[in-house]
Amino acid sequence: MKTSVFVIVFMLIFIWYLTFLATRLDRLHHRVETSWANLDGLLQRRAAVALEISRSEIADPASAMLLTAAAYQAREANIENRSVAESGLSGALGLLLADGQSSQRPAEVVLLRELSQLTDKVRIAIALHVDAVTRTHLVRRKLIVRIFRLAGTAPLPITYEFESDVL
Amino acid sequence: MLTRSLKIGIVCPYGWDTPGGVQNHVRDLAEFLIAAGHDVSVLAPVIDETSIPSYVVSAGKPIAIPYNGAVARVLFGPIAFARVRQWIAQGGFDILHLHEPAIPSISLLACWAAVGPMVGTFHAAAKRQKAIFAIGPILEPVIEKLSARIAVSEAARATLTEHLETDAVVIPNGIYADRYRDGVPKPQWQGNTLGFIGRFEEPRKGLSVLVDALPIISRFAPDVRVFVAGPGDQEEVIKSIDPQLRSRFTFLGKISEQDKANFLASISLYIAPNTGGESFGIILAEALAGGATVVASDIPAFESLLSHGEYGELFESESSTELAKRVIDLLRNDDRRIALGKAGKKHAQQFDWKVVADQIFSIYEMSLVSGEKVRLASENRAWSRFIGRDQRGDD
Repeated sequence: MKTSVFVIVFMLIFIWYLTFLATRLDRLHHRVETSWANLDGLLQRRAAVALEISRSEIADPASAMLLTAAAYQAREANIENRSVAESGLSGALGLLLADGQSSQRPAEVVLLRELSQLTDKVRIAIALHVDAVTRTHLVRRKLIVRIFRLAGTAPLPITYEFESDVL
Repeated sequence: MLTRSLKIGIVCPYGWDTPGGVQNHVRDLAEFLIAAGHDVSVLAPVIDETSIPSYVVSAGKPIAIPYNGAVARVLFGPIAFARVRQWIAQGGFDILHLHEPAIPSISLLACWAAVGPMVGTFHAAAKRQKAIFAIGPILEPVIEKLSARIAVSEAARATLTEHLETDAVVIPNGIYADRYRDGVPKPQWQGNTLGFIGRFEEPRKGLSVLVDALPIISRFAPDVRVFVAGPGDQEEVIKSIDPQLRSRFTFLGKISEQDKANFLASISLYIAPNTGGESFGIILAEALAGGATVVASDIPAFESLLSHGEYGELFESESSTELAKRVIDLLRNDDRRIALGKAGKKHAQQFDWKVVADQIFSIYEMSLVSGEKVRLASENRAWSRFIGRDQRGDD
């Protein structure tokens, strides 16, 4: 009698723990989606600004070509290739801006300022996203999570290997 | 860009009416956000409920417990938890900003109780501690609910990575730089003068390091004088000073913000000999903003604030001879001293609330992408819906 009560209590606690873990995982997946949506939005805006820069007076024809190609690649890449494509765009922007082209025209100053503000935000967004993904991976690796398939059908979040030195 | 006004809930873990860096930070941030047109509610433990500003909601009286080598006034327990839940349920917040969610107080409770966009700011920088490693697994599932983490300094960030294996964005503490920008130099504080501001009785503020350095300094700069501002009992400190040098010390007591600005503009060097326990060093940022040339100990917080000596002179912490050497060098080299002060003043602008609050706000925006509001976590649980339990205090 006594042992059966014990077993029932244990089972109840165990079931509670499983639902707790499942909620936790659900929350983590949700966090990954949010941080990705945020990062994705910022990257799209960055690509748009890059295109605008490539058509402005800041870029010479050669760098304009390079930049346009990189920006299109970044926009069209699927999620697996995204970080490579975005690094390419970072590199292209870096090359162009490293030449120390300090533009005086107001329109271009505005563009460059927008780019640097975006870059700051992208940097933070990457950090947030990477953290969310690592956390999720850590929890999903737990034995108990794998045995009981607590992650369900949620796809494993993809690590985003963006270089930390965006520009 | 988000221009709509947000409903922001901020949780302060320490007693609102006790002095402290976190409380000051929360107060300044709340007031800045209110001035920017947002609807802000601050939940904090309060001792005297009659004298709190209208945006503060009391969560109860704080309990004094020893934590991390000091007495912390925190609040927890079932009643506090109920109040936290009630505050969240009734607030209808767009976002919660929790300060120090890793210490046992209401920030942690709020993090436990809520789901939705949440940002956490970590202030403390602590050494590696076994106790925290043991607590880690308990905190982990709670802390990971935060959609973004902010650390106030590289030191705080390192503490976080070490203890909880999670990364954070560094956003410094804010100061009102323009309050210190236009200090008027006062003749009584000018000359070969050294300044110190802070609760000088506390050993970690390091006034004794400066006291021990003075005999050497006065040998090379006979007219050197030291001004100490800040609350505290001076008798004890005066007793520890060499009788021949006592006349060089002047204790000013607590000074007003305006006087502080004038003070910083007048003195030759500002000395920050803190021996530890500092995570950011707000007073150092203020001294820089006031245009003072700074000589500070090389504790991690100061080292990163001064960019490894670029914006102020660093000396080996707790070494009076090193401090004396740096002070004498700078007193003899006016060009270098003035150049350092100018560079520091420029550097300090990045700690201004205008810049800092902007950075904090862009973190808010990033957390708000999901478009959800803050809710109680229990409403999400299947069984709560099943039983139809509703604990919200909808009255």
